[in-house]
Amino acid sequence: MDTNDATLTFGFLTTVDSPTHGVFGGYLVVDSTGRPLEFHCTTPVKVSRAQQILYGATLPGHLHGRQIGANLLAEATSHPLAVLIDAETLLHVRPHTALPVGLVLRSDPAVSAPRDDDALLRFGTTTISLPADRHAAVIEGLTALAGAVDLCEPFERIRAAIDEAQRH
Amino acid sequence: MPPEIQRTPPTGVGSHALRSAELSLPPVTLRPTWRVDALPRPRVLRLPLAGSTPAVTSISLLEAMPKVSSYRFPRAVAAPVALAAPPRPATAQPPASAEPAVRRPDRPARTRIAPPGDVVRMEERLWFLLQPDLETLLRSCHLDFPRRPFPFQLEGMAFLMPRHAAVLADEMGLGKSMQAISSIRLLIHAGEARRVLVVCPKGLVSNWVREFGDWAPEIPVAVIEGDPQRRRWQWALSDVAVKVANYESVVRDRELIAELKASFDLVVLDEAQRIKNSASQTSHAIRALSRRRSWALTGTPVENSADDIVGLFEFVAPGHLDERMSPRALGAAAADHVLRRTKDKVLKDLPPRLNRDERIELTPEQRETYRQAEEDGVLRLADMGRSATIRHVFELVLRLKQVCNFDTHSGESAKLECLKADLEEVQASGRKALVFSQWVETLGKLEKELTPFGALQYHGGMSTAARDEAIRRFKADRRHSVLLLSYGAGAVGLNLQFSQYVFLFDRWWNPAVEDQAVNRAHRIGAAGAVTVTRYLAADTIEERIDEVLRKKRDLSELILSQSEPSEAGSTGLTVDELFALFKLPSPSRTAAAA
Repeated sequence: MDTNDATLTFGFLTTVDSPTHGVFGGYLVVDSTGRPLEFHCTTPVKVSRAQQILYGATLPGHLHGRQIGANLLAEATSHPLAVLIDAETLLHVRPHTALPVGLVLRSDPAVSAPRDDDALLRFGTTTISLPADRHAAVIEGLTALAGAVDLCEPFERIRAAIDEAQRH
Repeated sequence: MPPEIQRTPPTGVGSHALRSAELSLPPVTLRPTWRVDALPRPRVLRLPLAGSTPAVTSISLLEAMPKVSSYRFPRAVAAPVALAAPPRPATAQPPASAEPAVRRPDRPARTRIAPPGDVVRMEERLWFLLQPDLETLLRSCHLDFPRRPFPFQLEGMAFLMPRHAAVLADEMGLGKSMQAISSIRLLIHAGEARRVLVVCPKGLVSNWVREFGDWAPEIPVAVIEGDPQRRRWQWALSDVAVKVANYESVVRDRELIAELKASFDLVVLDEAQRIKNSASQTSHAIRALSRRRSWALTGTPVENSADDIVGLFEFVAPGHLDERMSPRALGAAAADHVLRRTKDKVLKDLPPRLNRDERIELTPEQRETYRQAEEDGVLRLADMGRSATIRHVFELVLRLKQVCNFDTHSGESAKLECLKADLEEVQASGRKALVFSQWVETLGKLEKELTPFGALQYHGGMSTAARDEAIRRFKADRRHSVLLLSYGAGAVGLNLQFSQYVFLFDRWWNPAVEDQAVNRAHRIGAAGAVTVTRYLAADTIEERIDEVLRKKRDLSELILSQSEPSEAGSTGLTVDELFALFKLPSPSRTAAAA
């Protein structure tokens, strides 16, 4: 695989929790140099206390996995090599997509334990929890992307974009 | 026989309330020995079975999907122009393995490209916000720099790149041309620009070409010069990404440019204060250039009056500013388009600039010549009365200033003696010095007198090649300790930061121009403190002008900081002020009194 292939794309999915508005979702698709190709964001989802009680432990899966994560991925026209997320709650998107979803770990990788069926992979100083059965192409692609872009950085862009969308 | 118990049948279906009388029990005879007349009356309960329907609270589930807003952006295209050299190869890819070892750059700071204020469409604003930081963009284009840019220079690039109308007004010496060149480079590599025109003063053309060679070596650059036929061919060239022309060429070829329908993705003006007078031919010719983006580079966006920045904006964003606006309103309206940084704010590590005001007593003969010239001149002006014009006052000022430099009769010069003494120290320490004067004639006299210091001249009367050669020799040859420059040619665009001493042999009319001159040495790359010596002939017109210049010095900052001027009339050497130098009534006041 040509890891410099300009047609390669990567997805970055995150949520922003606003105390006043609720939970926003943002999904950015970039090319192999980190330039934006697509951006999708949701209106905020406000979860009441009663809903929290009713959904119980299933709330993150429903809210982050289905309502926000799967909803956003479905809107994208690009088919990225992998989708990176920066919050564990977003791992619930995995059942809703065939794309490999990797969790970018912000904490010290030395103390991060891999999830079931996941493996911890280091890309520079960034550690990603990826499904153990990931394809070699995914690793190659992420390795190339990490050479151009700090893999934590696109999440900052999404947050800035959501903030801008909120203000307009 | 079992006891008989009589019960009263229910009073009716649907009656849920039991009356107490209906519950009264008849006497019961218990055989054989007991008789009970009655049991204790039971408590009566009312059961509220006939009330309203209980309230039902429904808790909605999270069923409806949140609405999704989608934005799609075009893919970046490869640079559409031929580049002189291929971009540097990518860094080696790390091997794919379970533990890939990717080289992560040491890049703690990220310089973001923020959307300009005049971009209002959400899609466009998001496009800017979602771009990688500048450091990532540079790396992904494999663009290296000969020297690592300062963070404020990266911020300058992030300011310029997204703007169609921009004034980079950094103080002299902060690398405006480098920031512009690097921004041009990024735009070309991103496919957002393919035809760029840089317009600069004639003496700086070779400087720009050299700087492009340093900061963007792969970008082809053509200079517009030569005879009309050659210039026609150069203007028409389509496969050159960047063209560099001087202001005079643009004015001269104005019709040719229109005839060729030359248009540019970007026009950059260096020393853009040249077009501050929007009525001038230069301003008209520049503004007539067909362009998508307009950038102006100047260290002095406000030289004399607030009108200066209005004139600049007639090129950058026509109609955006109005001469009738207050300084505060001008500052607010221009704010999103102007980026101004000063050395003291961004270059904490820049060596200090040490100012020495050397008050020099004229020699007795010089003093006598000066006294005579002033008395005669003032008398003449007084005799002229209301017919005296500003030109007459200027002529007298210039005559007196020349006497302050050299006695027109004896050739004596107290300043020269002082300068020689200072230069001996400079030479002895192996340092270099710049000496500025208003007059080429003065430079000629100084060159003869300063032969032991290997003095070289640099002024507008010399050819470009001769000037370049003077700079080369001054830089490379230790025998040349002194470079003599005119304010006109030497105050802008030159990088002479290896010089530690600057002497202002006489004073210019405008402090901004003096600052420009000083900043040839006091700029990025300066190896040590720069000592600036300003010669002032005591009790002469020079001291009086200095008073006025001190009042002008803050004007630029007043507008750029959106403040109201603290005092009216501090906007420059007005006609009134010029006449006041000789305690003469100004024609304007005389007319008003009449």
